[in-house]
Amino acid sequence: MKILITGSSGYIGSQLVKNAIKNHHQIVLASRHPYDDEQQWVYFDLNNASSCTVPESIEAIIHLAADTSGNDKTRRYEIDTAKALISAANEIGANFLFVSSQTAREDAPTSYGRTKWRIEQEVVAANGLVVRLGQVYGGPERGLFGTLTNFVRHLPVLPAFIPSPEVQPIHVDDCAEGFLKLVDHKNMESGVYCLASPEPISFTQFLRSIAISRVRRRKFFVPVPTFLVKLTASLIGKKLSASLGLNRLNSLLDLPLMNTAADLEAIGLKLRPLSAGMHKSGNDRRCRLIQEGTALLAYILKEKPNSALVRRYVRMVEKLRTGAALDIPVWMIRWPIALSLLDDRASSSLWQREEFAWRIDAATIIAEASRQGAARFLGSTKTMWPLAALSRMIVAVISEITWRLLRLVIPSSTLHFSKKKEL
Amino acid sequence: MTNYFDVIIVGSGPAGVSAAFPLVEAGLQVLMVDGGREASLTLSSQSYLSKRFEDEEQWKWVVGESFHALQKMDAVSPKLRVPAHDYVFDDFIAQNKIKAKNFVPVGSLAKGGLSNAWGCGVARLSTDELVDYPFPESEIAKSYETVTRRIGISGANDDDLSDYFGLDAWSQPPISMDLLHQRMFDQYASHKQELASLGFQMGRSRVAALSRNIDERKACDTSGNCLWGCHNKALYSAIDDLPSLMKHKNFFHKSGFIVDRVVKNNEDLAIEGHDAHEYMTFRASKILLAAGTLATTGLALRALKYESSVKLQSCPTAAFLLWQPKMLGAARADSFGLGQLSFSLKLPGDITAFGSTFSTLGIPMSEFIRHMPLSKRYSADLLRQLLSSCLVGNLFLPGNLSTTEVTVNADGEMNILGGYSSNVSGLMSDAAHRLRKSYWKVGALLMPMSFTQGLPGGDIHYSSTLPMQHNPTLGQTDANGELAGLAGVHVVDGACLSALTEKSHTLTIMANADRIGRILAKQIRGIN
Repeated sequence: MKILITGSSGYIGSQLVKNAIKNHHQIVLASRHPYDDEQQWVYFDLNNASSCTVPESIEAIIHLAADTSGNDKTRRYEIDTAKALISAANEIGANFLFVSSQTAREDAPTSYGRTKWRIEQEVVAANGLVVRLGQVYGGPERGLFGTLTNFVRHLPVLPAFIPSPEVQPIHVDDCAEGFLKLVDHKNMESGVYCLASPEPISFTQFLRSIAISRVRRRKFFVPVPTFLVKLTASLIGKKLSASLGLNRLNSLLDLPLMNTAADLEAIGLKLRPLSAGMHKSGNDRRCRLIQEGTALLAYILKEKPNSALVRRYVRMVEKLRTGAALDIPVWMIRWPIALSLLDDRASSSLWQREEFAWRIDAATIIAEASRQGAARFLGSTKTMWPLAALSRMIVAVISEITWRLLRLVIPSSTLHFSKKKEL
Repeated sequence: MTNYFDVIIVGSGPAGVSAAFPLVEAGLQVLMVDGGREASLTLSSQSYLSKRFEDEEQWKWVVGESFHALQKMDAVSPKLRVPAHDYVFDDFIAQNKIKAKNFVPVGSLAKGGLSNAWGCGVARLSTDELVDYPFPESEIAKSYETVTRRIGISGANDDDLSDYFGLDAWSQPPISMDLLHQRMFDQYASHKQELASLGFQMGRSRVAALSRNIDERKACDTSGNCLWGCHNKALYSAIDDLPSLMKHKNFFHKSGFIVDRVVKNNEDLAIEGHDAHEYMTFRASKILLAAGTLATTGLALRALKYESSVKLQSCPTAAFLLWQPKMLGAARADSFGLGQLSFSLKLPGDITAFGSTFSTLGIPMSEFIRHMPLSKRYSADLLRQLLSSCLVGNLFLPGNLSTTEVTVNADGEMNILGGYSSNVSGLMSDAAHRLRKSYWKVGALLMPMSFTQGLPGGDIHYSSTLPMQHNPTLGQTDANGELAGLAGVHVVDGACLSALTEKSHTLTIMANADRIGRILAKQIRGIN
């Protein structure tokens, strides 16, 4: 469909444009200056309600533009502009989606939150869609996520606020997918939709996830009482705390909890887990594939495979198969010998099982075609005492029998590939 | 290059080059066309074992940079998984519009055809076997000799299979055997009588692999690279015959040209096809089809607009693993990778089975692991100890036990429906039983559960879709391979064999092509 997007140069906006194009939507960028020659552009100024003319061919408007500067004087222009966009949408029969904030409340402490709330009222009154986003993360290091990542990267120690505020993360690409699903859906009920992980996590946990998966460094956390932040913010005054980012931090500290499960279900949006989304690529697909390759190759080779072999395995799965790791139980990945329990061709016809059988065959071929593999597979170029060879064969057979017996004893539920959704 | 020739030969494989020599030597203007695929991997002269133990980049030739071996994981034969041979089989099925059921269709668009990746098995048909052919034995005897001397065959040995192969008079001595084969052959010598009563006879394999240099080609150095590509060119490939053909000014070679159809307008014969750039037509007074059994069948049936089915003879095959318990713990050592010892085995109903045994060394162990009823880890543990005292064997039954049929429909698509006659599975278990008994006498155990029948076509032993007959009808050929209903078009490859025995048939295809080439050379010279 043809979608007009305001605020398309921002953190969420630019990812939205990327995702929309990937899904073969036509895009019209609405901004003060054209910045992308490839996309259609119309003039739009958030502070000038009469600035925007919406082309008639537009089927949906996603209104993302917002003033995050904290300048209270221009807030009312924002409301007028939103109203103008809403009526333009109504005129041409386009869907209207307004991206609001978790802070939107009639009595919000910031004018930002109050403005968002007022626009929400207008949108819902005009049968439009409103989205409140949780803690957006992932993708390029921009927006609040960018600021936090920067902190994590550069600060020698990180604050662990006590009591810890809770955040509900959502990956920026999941936001984009959600927006597109909402406007694409013909009969979506007008109202406020909350997009974020249904289970809140502590802010400290969120920072730690950035440290581990994004910045890839272990960080020390120092407990900081929450009231100190609030106190500092009020002591140094609005202007200074704004320039230090303290007001944003402050608003983060008392976010209302959102109930998102029902909304996610209604939209049909499945969020990626934080551990996956925090990786630079937006998922931990590769990381899991490396673990899988390491485990399968170690199972075959009976020793740690060298990294070239693992890379080859990963490239192979990416080139010839789905590119996704299988849901092999974690304890088997840690303890590859236990893969013997799954390495049983005759077992189930489940897709994952069949795919596992294919991959273990492939891993065998890849493992063999290496110096490490030659040493493991070819045997000796010197004659061996037959009894020694025989005894090793007997050990192999006994091991096989042992694992077969274990297969019978171990409850099959622990051997199942988990039913987790694949990325 | 003009576009009118005395003879056009479609295909530069063993049949094509064998037919070409007598025609070119008679001074005729000959054009040979082929699909032009060529090898891209270069082969080092290091021995297989030292490469495996030392080459950091071995995966490039074992698996392939684009994971060729894994992409072909379902292919029936290890040969089809070798990256260096990718070009041999590449794109053949698509270009020839082949659909197959219960049959593994294989063919080649390569310069030199399937001989770039063959097992080098050779044999001569006996007087009795030639009864099915519509020409006197004397006509092909000279051709057997010519071809044998040209391509170089080793294995001449005064043993129980000398007569069966019938090639020793023109062959080189055998390539040295590995320890396991040597021991088995020694054991055979002392149990000959008992084994003869079982119908089992053993002898050195006769193979188109050199034990003496011929021109540019060097003798086998037992470096064990047979499956992966021989740097010595000890294994015959038709591509090695092209330079000597090229020396003749009246020989023209158009490589990279795929023939779409053979056309006949009045007395005018032509092939139409394309290279990478354009569509072209070449005309000639004779056209020889040597594109390989399947491709030739397609071209012939399309030209005849023959839409009924024709029979394809295809040898039922099996493979098995032999273990010599007394050799347990034997050292791994490089050795010749193709057939070292062969056997013939009499079966009830006057049927003979033929097969050879091979070293397990050059074959990746993963090929064996895949068939083991154990988990991969312990299969590797077990085979690591076991394989150095094992041999692999294969077995062929006569091709007339096949019920495979080929049809080419009006759209030019080829459909192959594979199958064997009902007595094959009985014959196979009988053969397995007899082999187990026979090999036990020479100190080898035919491993339980290892005797496995192959899919029809999988071993590329098929032929006789357009058989030579005394009185050919449509879809058959006469004694000179000339297609009934399409005068001037001769079939000179496997497609025209009158019958397919259990023996390796490539040499017979070549000898027959040479024979037809001679006859046509005389005919055309006579007319001129």
